[in-house]
Amino acid sequence: MRQFIARRFGYSLLSLLLLSLTIFLFIRLTGDPTSLLTEPGATEADIAAVQQKFGLDKPIWVQYAYFMGSLIKGDLGESFYYQTPVLELYLSRLPNSLMLATVAMAFSLVLGIPTGILAAVKVGRFWDSAGKLFALLGLSLPSFLVGLLMILFFSVYLEWLPSSGSGTFLHLLMPAFALGWYFAAAHMRLTRSSMLEVMGSEYIKLARLKGLTETRVIVKHAFKNALIPVVTLAGINMINMINVAVVVETVFAWPGIGRLLYEGINFRDFPVVQGVVIIGGSMIVVVNLLVDVLYALIDPRIRLEK
Amino acid sequence: MQIPATTDNAALLLTRRTSLGLLLSGLIAGEITPAHAAAQGTLTIAMHVSLAPTWFDPGETTGLIAPYIVLYALHDAMVKPMREGNPAPSLAESYTASADGLTHEFVLRPGITFHNGDPVTSDDVKFSFDRYRGNSLAMLRDAIASFETPDPRRVIIKLKEAWPDFMTFFTGATGANWVVPRKYLEKVGDAGFKKAPIGAGPYKFVSFDPGVELVLEAHEPYWRRSPSIKRIVMRVIPDEATRLVALKRGEVDIAYSIRGELAAEVKRTPNLSLKVAPDGAMYWMYFPEQWDAQSPWSDLRVRQAAAAAMDYDSINNALNLGYSTISGSIIPRNFQFVWTAPKPVFDQAKARKLLADAGHPNGFDAGFYYCDSSYANLGEAAVNNLAEIGIRTKLRPMERAAFDKAFADKRFRKGIIQGSSAAFGNAATRLSAWVVSSSPYAYGAYPELDELYLQQSKEVDIAKRTAILHKMQQIVYEKQIFVNLWQLGFLNAAGPRVGEAGFALIKDFVYTGPFEDMTLKAQ
Repeated sequence: MRQFIARRFGYSLLSLLLLSLTIFLFIRLTGDPTSLLTEPGATEADIAAVQQKFGLDKPIWVQYAYFMGSLIKGDLGESFYYQTPVLELYLSRLPNSLMLATVAMAFSLVLGIPTGILAAVKVGRFWDSAGKLFALLGLSLPSFLVGLLMILFFSVYLEWLPSSGSGTFLHLLMPAFALGWYFAAAHMRLTRSSMLEVMGSEYIKLARLKGLTETRVIVKHAFKNALIPVVTLAGINMINMINVAVVVETVFAWPGIGRLLYEGINFRDFPVVQGVVIIGGSMIVVVNLLVDVLYALIDPRIRLEK
Repeated sequence: MQIPATTDNAALLLTRRTSLGLLLSGLIAGEITPAHAAAQGTLTIAMHVSLAPTWFDPGETTGLIAPYIVLYALHDAMVKPMREGNPAPSLAESYTASADGLTHEFVLRPGITFHNGDPVTSDDVKFSFDRYRGNSLAMLRDAIASFETPDPRRVIIKLKEAWPDFMTFFTGATGANWVVPRKYLEKVGDAGFKKAPIGAGPYKFVSFDPGVELVLEAHEPYWRRSPSIKRIVMRVIPDEATRLVALKRGEVDIAYSIRGELAAEVKRTPNLSLKVAPDGAMYWMYFPEQWDAQSPWSDLRVRQAAAAAMDYDSINNALNLGYSTISGSIIPRNFQFVWTAPKPVFDQAKARKLLADAGHPNGFDAGFYYCDSSYANLGEAAVNNLAEIGIRTKLRPMERAAFDKAFADKRFRKGIIQGSSAAFGNAATRLSAWVVSSSPYAYGAYPELDELYLQQSKEVDIAKRTAILHKMQQIVYEKQIFVNLWQLGFLNAAGPRVGEAGFALIKDFVYTGPFEDMTLKAQ
């Protein structure tokens, strides 16, 4: 088991190393941030001073060595734009993102799971079609459009909700729904397919033969087992909601990590983009590592695989 | 001898003899300080750009204009662009320059204080300059021989040699003459200062959430005028449509940067008003092949044809509701030393004839039309207008950073480039940046322009320098090095509570200010 964990841990470290290298190189392929930190027509001396200040005048491998050296010490660097440590910026936005992600996740589960169950139970009938339409719209409508339509309807016409910003629960409702719908659609589809798979299994047939009510068969026997992949997906989605709700946070001026990432990309703020991607990536790697270890604990065949 | 100051007002040339003008305007500025009723109310501004802590420290200005929104509220400079003029006396009540242009003396107002009550002294001014590390630093440091503070109210700057543009750089869009409190800064350090800045401006810092919201409160003893609005909240709303909705709902009072169709919606909406800052960035077409004898662009008539092909007014009306300014020069009309070029005229028949005379009756393929993607709509209109006379180009919008880099690296050897600039300065600095051979953005140069540029850079006689710079601009115009498309009218919106929104009050500044002059109607 120790060998298994060590191997998985090694893979995780390797993934993070590759992630850091990829994001470091790819963000630099997008261009030089200096021109965004000065007005067009700035003198060469001013441009050189900005490059020197942020270490952009050094060869790329030197920059990477500095970056990795700092990363090992837990230092994600300092934002070019905010000139504040990236970790500090990240942590200042984290509570807002957690709040948004939690409510959006609640929306997505409350809407997605029952709709998925209903669609599976009533497969091929009206509720199945309605559920699939709900999922299709959720997955295909761009969230900026959903957001702007919601602002138009609930803020401008009905005047029920504030259009943007943060501070009260009312501020949270529209961005949480706009973000949650996409994930609700994903959860609905997975719940439906998982339920359909489970509903066709032998033990469900046995439960029915035993004379259990249909509700009891669905809720107690089918749903519990169908829920496992949905919960796994929801965990990964939660991380995505925290880190990459870029469009929703921008449309609703929600001060979260997604908007921080958007600002980082806009200003070619390399340390911010690297920091957000690496933290988000680390979360996913850690969750996957834990899931691997749990699976191995549950199923010995996995840890004995070469 | 007179030396030029950064002003478009020839009466404000600053020598010992004429310093009375600035002194007088300082007194006038002092006199307009009324005994305001106590400041009240809150005004919320929806910002289109993210607020950063570096904006709180004038020592770190990079040449971007947007941070001056915050500087004008929190801090003050010895002299700075104001509605009274550019430069206008601020913390300094007077400014004089010696006849040889080598010595510049500033006298601070008596009794002025920072937000924490500490007096503003010449020592603070020197400290602020010494710690300055923003744009144009190398140029300023190289030019200054000594920075003396003989008494708490006097600052004397001696230059190594006469530099006609000294005041342009010292008091223009650099933070070099903005004053921070030495004692406080030494106590809290640079990082502490960014977290809780103290200045000498009309508003003091209350709270800041990076990238989200800045809250400021009136500093009622402000020397120029006690602010009438108690609180200013600057809230970042990156999406333009969301900013407009927030304004319509009364969640904010002013929304920066509302363009195109959304600006038209502002005009249609009762109680909202469109606020135009007319002196925005210049946009033009540039022909990098004009020095290549094999290229059609080397023929002046072809460049003139391109100028005559532009339907300037239609483009302006369609894209910016007619609020941009059409002119024949890339030098902003509000800049010092500007020469007023004839306004370009849209004349397709003339354009076709010029092309035919140049040997291209059926037009020609001109390659790519490169532009910054944020103004690709302007490029698209220009490409269509060129196509109508037979000059066929393909629009190539690029993300701004990539575009600027490729432009400066001279990778657009063929085709047309859509240039733009919002940089501060005067006609000389703009010619330096885009026309003369040493410019990073010039793909070629004309020797007579280089020669004239050198002459003016050493000329301390204001009249002679003006004449040389006018001649340069005339040559640029006659050679049709550029086709100027417009000077952007920067569009914003204000809600029903706003009395004085403050747009375009400060010369050469497209945002709101001075903050102490802004009012709410309810008051």
